[in-house]
Amino acid sequence: MADLLKIEGLCSGYGQARVLDNISFSMRAGESLALLGRNGVGKSTLMRTLMGLTVRHSGSVRFAGIDLSNAPPHRRARAGLGWVPQERAMFPSLTVEEHLTTVARDGPWNLAAIYDVFPRLRERRSNLGNQLSGGEQQMVAIARALVTNPRLLLLDEPMEGLAPIIVQELAAVVGRLIREAGLSVIVVEQHARLALSMTARAIVLNRGQIVHESSSQELLDDGAKLGRLVAVA
Amino acid sequence: MASNILGILFDGLAYGSLLFLIGVGLSITMGLMNFINLAHGTFAMAGGYISASLSQKSGMPFLATLPVAFVGAGLFGLVAERLLFRRLYKAPHLDQVLFTFGFVLSSIAAAHYFFGAGQQMGVMPSFLQGQIRVYGIDLGRYRLLLIAFVGLITLALHLILSKTRFGAQVRAAVDNQDAAAGLGINVGLIFSLCFALGTGLAGLGGALGIEVLGLDPGFPLKYMVYFLLVVVVGGAGTIRGPLIAAMILGVFDVAGKYYVPQAGAFIIYVLMIVLLLAFPTGLGGKRA
Ligand SMILES: Nc1ncnc2c1ncn2[C@@H]1O[C@H](COP(=O)(O)OP(=O)(O)OP(=O)(O)O)[C@@H](O)[C@H]1O
Ligand SMILES: [Mg+2]
Repeated sequence: MADLLKIEGLCSGYGQARVLDNISFSMRAGESLALLGRNGVGKSTLMRTLMGLTVRHSGSVRFAGIDLSNAPPHRRARAGLGWVPQERAMFPSLTVEEHLTTVARDGPWNLAAIYDVFPRLRERRSNLGNQLSGGEQQMVAIARALVTNPRLLLLDEPMEGLAPIIVQELAAVVGRLIREAGLSVIVVEQHARLALSMTARAIVLNRGQIVHESSSQELLDDGAKLGRLVAVA
Repeated sequence: MASNILGILFDGLAYGSLLFLIGVGLSITMGLMNFINLAHGTFAMAGGYISASLSQKSGMPFLATLPVAFVGAGLFGLVAERLLFRRLYKAPHLDQVLFTFGFVLSSIAAAHYFFGAGQQMGVMPSFLQGQIRVYGIDLGRYRLLLIAFVGLITLALHLILSKTRFGAQVRAAVDNQDAAAGLGINVGLIFSLCFALGTGLAGLGGALGIEVLGLDPGFPLKYMVYFLLVVVVGGAGTIRGPLIAAMILGVFDVAGKYYVPQAGAFIIYVLMIVLLLAFPTGLGGKRA
């Protein structure tokens, strides 16, 4: 089977400033990838670059057989990239339900399916985006990406700033999405072990470059190496 | 005395309705793109001249010219946005100010060339002339129509923004452009449509307002500050804030000119500074 996502020699950043340096990797459909690295190494920049929200200096992005290197963000989303931005990026003037209906596209992830996975969102359907707890906001951010019926979900630190019990709850949902829904996922996470336990493969970034690539299991087994690469507690 | 005050209030509301009708599009587009646009009055002027030319030269009834003014100014806005303005969204604010100010000056020169320097006269149908007496107060029929008309348009805008998918997409794009685009909303298209709608409404306001605001080539410059005040005081990206701001501006401007004519526009400038100090993010509560 052909690659779902293929990135070659990608360099990008903000204006003239280069953040990502010669990134290449590919993913097959149904694959799950943990994207790790210390603060400020360029993980979010890679996600934003996939969405077309940075300045690309060189390199290419192919997704589902289409060259998206020059595509505007909305076309990338419509091609099947589902972005869950870091810090959630709620729309304060939209209700929870509007967050979902406004961006929904045809597919198995409709409103009913979302409310099945996140019953809490059904209770909060009329709340505005800024009238939600952190955990609820994160659920909206994930749900809002799911209703676009993506082929590849980009999760940028979905557990950031959440209470441990909520982290467990969300991790269970994300794990189910990967295992049962057959969704391809890239997870950026500070809780490296959590991300590794959910995924099959792992990539570690440092200063905008890929410094390690292996199976997630390999990093889980070699705690010393993981510590060196991402400085986990 | 009391009827005098009510009369001023009425005139002020009519005047404010026009300021809102013209300014509301500017509020939405400034909120969407954070784009400083001084040229909004040019589109209002375009609507005014479309209406005046049609009624003077081809004898079209005034009311029939209004939809033409709306569509004509909207198309003008759409073309200007696609060809010119969109290149400046990412530019520094100073560039935006300089460019749009240059656009205003060019439009003044063009209006001068095509229509001459004089004031245009609206051709009001007879049923819009004169006054009707309500509870002892004389209300101008034309101003009454103006208020009712703008009321209806405000309601329609509110319904579009709050009840339709398009409206929700506009709100999402105002709230967070990157997130909206990253979820598949074509922000550029949304903006073009809003710009066309906003400039169309400005053109409608320019046409409706010939009797109240007047119409000559200096129009976009003369009212520039008023439209900007509506947006800055009201708050960009909303319609409720600019509505309140336009009404306050209209009433105080009319009252000021009646009671203390020697103070000129001084009163509204002071008032607007006070309002801005009290509501730094605008009456609508959004970022300005
Ligand atoms: N909008 C921006 N404009 C300019 N520079 C930016 C911008 N966003 C991020 N950067 C810079 O790009 C680099 C990479 O940032 P990025 O957000 O991708 O890191 P990250 O790996 O996601 O970090 P974290 O784990 O803290 O989220 C940093 O040096 C940061 O300062
Ligand atoms: Mg990040």
